[in-house]
Amino acid sequence: MKNIFKQTGLLVLILLFSVTSSTEVNAQTNDQEFTYVKVEVKGLACPFCAYGLEKKLKEVDGVKTIKIDVEEGLAYLTVLKSKKPLKKTLEKIVTDAGFTPSSIVFSEKPFTLRDED
Amino acid sequence: MKISIHIISFFLGLLIIFGCSENKKKKQEATIWKFSKEIPLGNISPIGIVAQGNFLWLSDVANNRIVKIDIDGTMIESFDGFQRPMHIAIQEDKIYVPEYTSDTVKIIENGNISTYSLNEQPDAIGGVEVYGEWLAVADFYNHRIILQKDNKVSIIGKEGHNDSELYYPTDVAIKNDLIYVADAYNNRVQVFDFKGGYVRMIGWNENIKVAIGVKVTDTQVIIADFEGNRILIYDLNGNLLQIILDKFNQPTDIEIVGNKMYVVNYKGSSISVFYK
Repeated sequence: MKNIFKQTGLLVLILLFSVTSSTEVNAQTNDQEFTYVKVEVKGLACPFCAYGLEKKLKEVDGVKTIKIDVEEGLAYLTVLKSKKPLKKTLEKIVTDAGFTPSSIVFSEKPFTLRDED
Repeated sequence: MKISIHIISFFLGLLIIFGCSENKKKKQEATIWKFSKEIPLGNISPIGIVAQGNFLWLSDVANNRIVKIDIDGTMIESFDGFQRPMHIAIQEDKIYVPEYTSDTVKIIENGNISTYSLNEQPDAIGGVEVYGEWLAVADFYNHRIILQKDNKVSIIGKEGHNDSELYYPTDVAIKNDLIYVADAYNNRVQVFDFKGGYVRMIGWNENIKVAIGVKVTDTQVIIADFEGNRILIYDLNGNLLQIILDKFNQPTDIEIVGNKMYVVNYKGSSISVFYK
């Protein structure tokens, strides 16, 4: 009887391990697929500005998600790595949207957003 | 005899002057808005507000939906799937919803949603107004107002900071054949006629920070100053009547129902209610 419990426990452990590993693999795959961009913007004051910037950034080829932090004046983009935008392109989009880009940072890892802190 | 006539005339004159000033005071008091209460809205991020009977409709921009609430703030109905809805309008039973992201105007009528066909391409519609058969939209990125009736289109304003020029308009209202534009980043409201002619400017002297929303009644023009956290009230000629402070957290729009004024607060997720 004890042996049965031991074997079942071992099986559960193996299963748990395999599930955790596959999640990590998927996460790694996602991280490998995407580039993360943080754009610092001057003059982002109201929802019309924030959603205006969101509208313009949606035009970026390969963009998957956009998150705007109005209070901090930040825009976060997740973009397909194969279509990583040029800094110049992003600067032009931000300027055309009526704002001044103060910094643009590219990362291989997702940025920590204020809501997630 | 002559002296007594003079004395009587003097007192009569005083009575008339006193009576007039009392009337004026009473008239002014009737135009003063007083704070009543605040209605919390939970997770709604409101931009636009219109009234329909005992209910209020709000555009919830963060959640991409239009919600119908009762006067206590309880949600009655919700329509999802809009793309960043902004300043809404109402005509009879139709709710007009400008979608900021898709550049279209949607209509909610009896639970069904249809699309209004615009003949001119806007770039980010901040607000919509309906006036008879006319429909007007505030074309944010093109710095203009598009007026459309059937297939006839006319354009009001162009980018700039002078009279008759606009800089990021966010809302539009029409009353008595005049078009009132929330000229947001020119920090004023501008009034035009239907030919696009400049009529007057309202709010310039009060250093408005962002004139984000405008409401016009039979006697008043009411402006929401988003950054200034205040509501400014003028007569139809642009004379300042009242400024309300301290009761707002990023106000965006105003609705009037009878003797009540409802102001939506974007950041505060609430409605400030006033009466007169």
